[in-house]
Amino acid sequence: MSMTENAGELKMVTFALGQQTFGIDMRSLIEIREWAPPTPLPSVPSYILGVTNLRGTVVPIVGLAERLGWTPSEIHSRSCVLVVSIAGKQAGFLVDEVNDIVGVQEDAIQPAPDVEIQDTNVIAGLVQITTRGNDGGTAASTMVLLLDLDALTVASTAVAGVGAATIATPATPVADASSVAATGGLDIAA
Amino acid sequence: MSDELDEIQAIFFEECTEGLLAAEQGLAAMQGGDTSPKTIASVFRAVHSIKGGAGAFGHAALTAFAHRFENVLDEIRAGRIAPTQGVISVMLGAFDKLSDHVAAAQGTMGLPDDAASLAALEAILAGKDVAPAAPVEAPVEVAPPVVVESSAADDIDPFGFEPVTVAIEDFAATDAAPMLPVDPEWTILFAPSRDAMANGAEPVLVIRELEGLGARVTDVDISGLPSLRDLDPEHAYLRWTISLPGDVGEDQIGDCFDFVAPDSIVEIMRTSSEAPPPPAVAPAPSAVVADVPLREPGAIHDLLHRVEVASPAIAAAAASATATPAAEGSAKRDPRTADTASQTIRVDLHKLDMLLNLVGELVIRGSILSDRLSPADQQRVELPEQARLTREIQDTVMSLRAQPIRQAFNRVPRMLRDLTAETGKQVVLETQGETTEVDKGVIEKIGDPLTHLIRNAVDHGIESPEDRLRAGKPAQGTIRLSAAQKGARIVVTVADDGRGIDRVRVRAKAIEKGLIGADAVLSDEEIDQLICAPGFSTATTVSNISGRGVGMDVVRSNVEALGGRVDISSAPGRGTTFTLVLPLTLAILDGMVVRLAGQRFVLPLAHVIEAIRPEPGQVRATTPGSEVIEVRGTYLPVRRLTQIFGLPDVNTLPPEESLVIIVESETAGKVGLIVDTIDDRREVVIKSLEQNLHPIRGLGGATILGDGSIALILDVDALVAPLSRTLTRGLAA
Repeated sequence: MSMTENAGELKMVTFALGQQTFGIDMRSLIEIREWAPPTPLPSVPSYILGVTNLRGTVVPIVGLAERLGWTPSEIHSRSCVLVVSIAGKQAGFLVDEVNDIVGVQEDAIQPAPDVEIQDTNVIAGLVQITTRGNDGGTAASTMVLLLDLDALTVASTAVAGVGAATIATPATPVADASSVAATGGLDIAA
Repeated sequence: MSDELDEIQAIFFEECTEGLLAAEQGLAAMQGGDTSPKTIASVFRAVHSIKGGAGAFGHAALTAFAHRFENVLDEIRAGRIAPTQGVISVMLGAFDKLSDHVAAAQGTMGLPDDAASLAALEAILAGKDVAPAAPVEAPVEVAPPVVVESSAADDIDPFGFEPVTVAIEDFAATDAAPMLPVDPEWTILFAPSRDAMANGAEPVLVIRELEGLGARVTDVDISGLPSLRDLDPEHAYLRWTISLPGDVGEDQIGDCFDFVAPDSIVEIMRTSSEAPPPPAVAPAPSAVVADVPLREPGAIHDLLHRVEVASPAIAAAAASATATPAAEGSAKRDPRTADTASQTIRVDLHKLDMLLNLVGELVIRGSILSDRLSPADQQRVELPEQARLTREIQDTVMSLRAQPIRQAFNRVPRMLRDLTAETGKQVVLETQGETTEVDKGVIEKIGDPLTHLIRNAVDHGIESPEDRLRAGKPAQGTIRLSAAQKGARIVVTVADDGRGIDRVRVRAKAIEKGLIGADAVLSDEEIDQLICAPGFSTATTVSNISGRGVGMDVVRSNVEALGGRVDISSAPGRGTTFTLVLPLTLAILDGMVVRLAGQRFVLPLAHVIEAIRPEPGQVRATTPGSEVIEVRGTYLPVRRLTQIFGLPDVNTLPPEESLVIIVESETAGKVGLIVDTIDDRREVVIKSLEQNLHPIRGLGGATILGDGSIALILDVDALVAPLSRTLTRGLAA
């Protein structure tokens, strides 16, 4: 944890998926990669799009939209893959667009109400953030759905969220000890 | 700081493991009749190291036990106790307790009950011949002090250091009989390396241990001490001059320096200050540098020359020091310890794997780079040279993962002792080929199968001594454990000379369990294989050892998961042999890259028999969805990977335009697999899918091809198994 991080502040990476804005704890982010078609795997759920080569290790690529029960993302020029580390395992999530890195106070995160997602357990909480308007004009307020990565682990999907615990309390940091603490910084492939 | 200590402690436990291994090997050699001083010393050194480390970390129980064990070993080493089979068996028992103590110190088990073992050790010490019977090791020294010293070893001392009483009694003896020729005093110059404390080699501990031998610090050189401002409290700046009574054994002094940091200066020499010099030949000023790890043996000579000599008489002797047997012995000993100290390094396996991944990536980037250059530039010497170097690095990294299979074998003797104690059977273990090198991953994974096989051999194979005698066999059964490399495979066998597999009973049991039909016709081999079936056990009572019916099943599945197989051969009344055929490495595979529906897959070459471009009509459908191919008069089932994997069947070529690869599988014999083309034949580095995902049936992993893309490795056995089973069931119905 860097010294510049204020107590109680959570740095999160926000990204777009369909019409929604999502966020993940930045400590679990390893890098952001440009989309490249992965090698498809047989006998896996459809949201596992395949595997790709990340510096010599084989990493599964998950269609986050499908995983959350929405229609699959369409690939376009801003599509990218967020490579995260969850409980020691790495996975890449296909998202529509990466937006920003924002700091939010942990106590500003509200528990997720019953939102329209197949299993609500994957939403750790909701948080309001203020985004700079595109033209530098009026600041707009956006709702960010903070994802509980632990509940999204590829392994736990086998039991379709049954094993996932109750809705994570807002105070619980999304990712814990095993996160890579964004050591390498953001490695955004141009 | 506590993290650092934990780290050092972790190193200590690793050293314990190595020490235990060395001790066990030594004891086994002694049991086998090798009671050479070298072997005894190796056991002693191992136990002593464990004791020393344990003391430094405050593991009192371990230290105390190791100390008692060491006492006995010391007596044997000095030739005062004969290493009879009885004594050795007590020591093997003590060794087991020592292992338990180490485990207890690690917190993996509770404190063992070592009372019986301690009593047995005490009994050996008490029953020993106190008369100074030929002290083997002592140079041409006068005997009396030795007796005093050895009786001191009987004193109960829960901590690791030699009792102080030695010194007092020695001084008393010197006072009482001043006319006796007395050994000249020892003078030791000790300058710990600057970062001794960072290495956990606290000099104070060394000095205390020396004081335990009766040492006095006569001088402290503080000239190296910087001003307070520049002082780094973690550095060692002092040099000590220490004197020790002359009758203390040189090896005892040397032992105190077992744990000093490398680069420390330790000079041990005889001085003639208080006593007249002994007769010419006598204890040569064999200036011995204790077990300070040396980079190369040649350094010994340098150190020998650096000895400061106190008197001209000794100087003369010192000149010939290298020629005297004592010094020669020491010189011989030191390079050996130096070898083990300087030629090995502990590396986290994870780091090796990371290195391997990175080198693999380097190879790929290299070929991509090469592709971008013009053909003329590709031929330039720099590029091929770099590719060659990269490959060499890759090979070297791979070889780093190879370890002697001894590491897997060494838990067997202990287990066998426990098993024989439990069952009352008598078993002797013979091992062969322990130095065969196998990939670390294989070693880690064959431990459990080996354990099961040995348990099975003792529980089901070897008969009770009475039964054996009745059958005209020696009362003592034999289990032979061997390893050998055959091509790209490692063959491990566990053979016993017991009763063999009781096929009548196995068959009856299999029928009872519903594994086979009552009228099934099975060959002997097929019956033997039944013992590997899940849920099979012939043991009439469930014993503590085996008989829960999971053993052989686990063995087979573990070995198959490694890409190996289990063969069983058994002769009634003569014994059973289990043969594990394992891959040499888990990381590299000789494979055939095939193309199917636009995707590339790797078929392990070990399974491939031949590739056939079928003639029209050679592949025929038998039922919708199943096909056979006729190969030289034999019909073999044909599988389409597109069906097995549910791949899009879009542009499936007619059989005549595709290839049929005939593969040999453990589960379904020969099967034909239809693919579009063969791309390449190459060695591929296996990457696990489990690391970041989960195992997928039909896939043995993935690999990264030359262009950085991923190809999936097919697990032939798993691919064809379920289908063939369905087929036979279908036929039966």
